Amino acid sequence: MTSTPLTSAKTPPGTDAPRGRLRLDGVRKILGGKEVVSAVDLETEPGEFLTLLGPSGCGKTTTLNMIAGHLTADGGLIEVDGRDITTVAPHRRSMGMVFQSYALFPHMTVAENVAFGLRMRKVAATRRGKQVAEVLELVGLDGMSERHPRQLSGGQQQRAALARALVIQPDLLLLDEPFSNLDAQLRVRLRDEVSALQRRIGTTAILVTHDQEEALAVSDRIAVMADGVIHQLDRPQEVYLRPATDFVAQFIGEVNALDGTAAGGGTCEVAGRKVSATPVGQAPAEGAAVRVYVRPEVVRVGSGDQGEGLHGTVRDTRFLGSRIRCVVSTPAGEVTAALPFDARVPAAGEEVTCSWRPSDASLAAR
Amino acid sequence: MSRTGRLTRVLGGVFAALVGAFLIAPVAVTVASSLTETSYVTFPPQGITLRWYAEVLRKPEFLSSFAVSAGVAVAAAAISAVVGLAGGLAIHRYRFPGRAALETVLSSAFAVPTIVLGIGLLQWFAQMGLASSPFTLLLAHLVLTVPYAVRLVLAGLAGLDRSAEKAAAGLGAPPFLVFWHVTLPAVRGALIGGAFFAFITSFDDLTVALFVVTTDLQTLPVRIFNYMQYDYDPTVTAIGTLMVLFALVAVVVIERFVGVAKLFGADEEHKGKE
Amino acid sequence: MAAVGRVAGGAVTAGAGRSARRTGLLLALPALVIFALLFVAPLFTLVANSFRTQTGAFTLGNYARFLGDPFYRDVLWNTLKVAGLTTLGCLLVGYPFALYLRGRSPRVRNWLALLLLSPLLISMVIRAYGWLVVLGPNGPVASVIKWFGLTPPQLLYNDTAVLIGMVHVMLAYMVLPLMGSLDRIDPTLVPAAKGLGAPGWTCFWRITLPLSAPGMLAGAMIVFSLTASSFVTPAILGGPKVKLMPYFVYTQATTTLDWPYAAAIGFVLVVVTTGLLLGYSRLLRRGKGEVVFQ
Repeated sequence: MTSTPLTSAKTPPGTDAPRGRLRLDGVRKILGGKEVVSAVDLETEPGEFLTLLGPSGCGKTTTLNMIAGHLTADGGLIEVDGRDITTVAPHRRSMGMVFQSYALFPHMTVAENVAFGLRMRKVAATRRGKQVAEVLELVGLDGMSERHPRQLSGGQQQRAALARALVIQPDLLLLDEPFSNLDAQLRVRLRDEVSALQRRIGTTAILVTHDQEEALAVSDRIAVMADGVIHQLDRPQEVYLRPATDFVAQFIGEVNALDGTAAGGGTCEVAGRKVSATPVGQAPAEGAAVRVYVRPEVVRVGSGDQGEGLHGTVRDTRFLGSRIRCVVSTPAGEVTAALPFDARVPAAGEEVTCSWRPSDASLAAR
Repeated sequence: MSRTGRLTRVLGGVFAALVGAFLIAPVAVTVASSLTETSYVTFPPQGITLRWYAEVLRKPEFLSSFAVSAGVAVAAAAISAVVGLAGGLAIHRYRFPGRAALETVLSSAFAVPTIVLGIGLLQWFAQMGLASSPFTLLLAHLVLTVPYAVRLVLAGLAGLDRSAEKAAAGLGAPPFLVFWHVTLPAVRGALIGGAFFAFITSFDDLTVALFVVTTDLQTLPVRIFNYMQYDYDPTVTAIGTLMVLFALVAVVVIERFVGVAKLFGADEEHKGKE
Repeated sequence: MAAVGRVAGGAVTAGAGRSARRTGLLLALPALVIFALLFVAPLFTLVANSFRTQTGAFTLGNYARFLGDPFYRDVLWNTLKVAGLTTLGCLLVGYPFALYLRGRSPRVRNWLALLLLSPLLISMVIRAYGWLVVLGPNGPVASVIKWFGLTPPQLLYNDTAVLIGMVHVMLAYMVLPLMGSLDRIDPTLVPAAKGLGAPGWTCFWRITLPLSAPGMLAGAMIVFSLTASSFVTPAILGGPKVKLMPYFVYTQATTTLDWPYAAAIGFVLVVVTTGLLLGYSRLLRRGKGEVVFQ
């Protein structure tokens, strides 16, 4: 499929079985008497880019460290391509890890850093040199091979760390907050580069981050974690538009959370009005207390009372550049809409109705 | 700049130069006087001769004292480096019974006067029935040098990103190779600096040695100290110059690997370098 | 090294578990043995001996003798006096020097700091000997005085000689904490005060000096206690005429062979100096960085 030697080696001729399938089954970890990871289940597709997203202390880094082997799970099972690696020492796993601090060996040149994993694998010097040169070119560091880490910029250090992780053709590429030490512009550029590179090489990647925008931008799927538990594991659009829990809804961007009663068939009653949304998981039984999550971006504001949707009065509108923020007071509480800047802007005091496509909102038991 | 500002600057410069002169005076005068042709010590030296250096070589008691001092100092340097590395790793990475006690002892060892340590060791060795020997002297010197070695190793380890060790393990390095390729290089400077400092501390020590050694076994500083009481010829200035050279080597090496200022506890910011 | 890499990303990096404890203990063992047998045990012996008579019976006599004998009270007083004067001398020389260093470029500072510290690595015997030459009858000081046609006074074997030698040895220990203290003063404070109309001298007196007090105090404590327990420099430059406690510890232990009495004098010295030094390191740790001393 791809032209780089790095990738062709990944799938040896004759074997079609794709590699890099990670499975976590009920993985737990207790640190300092506190359960920081509780029964995490997870399975990746080969070549997938999966992100563990959550605030600090949610257990995402601990989970990553268990996958890498720097911590041993206190319960559960970790498998890579069907092989149980739960208690295997880190150096006997095949994981390429990129750290927040880059963790380059300060006394070695870039080339020596990258070659380290190959040396540990006893790859012959000539082949080693070739592979190092290839991977450095891949990450755009050709010509920097004889520099020491301290002579590199933050972005270059991050590329070197990536090259070092990739050159061993790992089963999994583990990225531990790799962009958080970079300035905002560089962060965006590097994360896009890394995601493009990962797609090209086809290595399964696990990213740990607390930055929701980063997670949305690069991931095939996102696992949103809090208090050692995965709250939702789904594609970025799903997680964003249809959050499963309060935590997910609040953690990623702004949300309107409306309390109501399930009315069956993906509808519910909020403050006496019928409102549609997509149930997350099993549809709640009729009459059950539910909560509807709607992102401001999907809320449409029409003039007058249109029968369906939430009816209310515009309290405030504000021009924010790319969007217009419109707050509507409704019987169900305030609803915020982020309107495109070319939309008709309702004036404060105007009677309006807030509505949305049922597929753009989620419905969860409360 | 105002006139008073310039005046302050000039006065400051003059003052600093005087302090500098004060600092190097005894050393410079010793080195210069070692070249005098007179048979008594005088400064400025009269004439130039290397006669007193030859004189040193003709005194077997100085040569044997040098051998004792150098031997003990080399052993103290090597052992301090090894014990310091192990102790530093233990304190930095592990919780174990006795850790707090070790830390307390290491930090309070500095605070006990050397002369008190000397007399304590004298009485303790006597109680243990340990006769004075280069070995007991080595043991005594370790108490002076190991705390520095541990401290330097700890500083080195503090500068090491633990992620680098994880990275190495993840890249396939078994624990020993992680230690060899990542941990050890991080404390290399500390070990070299610590070893040189241990050498020079042991080699120069007079206070402890005075208590631990007997008349048959004299280290170089003890020999010089005793010699000075009776003789006033320039031999001592020649030996002194040689010892200053030793110290200069140590200064250069320590400055290169850890920084002399850091050794004596100045914050990094005082160095102003890097 | 079994626990390398088995560590969380958190701040606490010490290994946990029984095998890690064993590894830690094993690594620390050489240092633990050295300090138990060669530091703790000797000091206990010293303290124990100081409460014994020459024949081994318990007594408080050694301390009573030290504190009761006017001669030894004089020794104690003289020790404190020399230490105090040395501290003062270091402060008078060191403070302007630290101020001067403060305003210099990092390069100049580095060189001057190295110049200040390097003598610490040169044998004390040789440095004291150097002062014997400098202050001796054929030394440069005497030559200059003679050149003016005057008779040089006796410069050696008195308190002044000890003082000069001790200031030379101790200056670095005063300047280092001073530099630390001065560096921590917000550099905008003095211009701010000047902007409010304070003349240069007032700025120094009201801002720089009080804010560098912790450094002065730290420097003073370490210089005082190290001087009080110095043996080599006073012994060489002062000789038997300058009566200081360390000298009597030495003569009691090696000449008079009254070990219990030597132990008692030594212990008094420890109480005087170690108390100061521990207070000093506490003071420093509360600030920033730790200071190492000999």
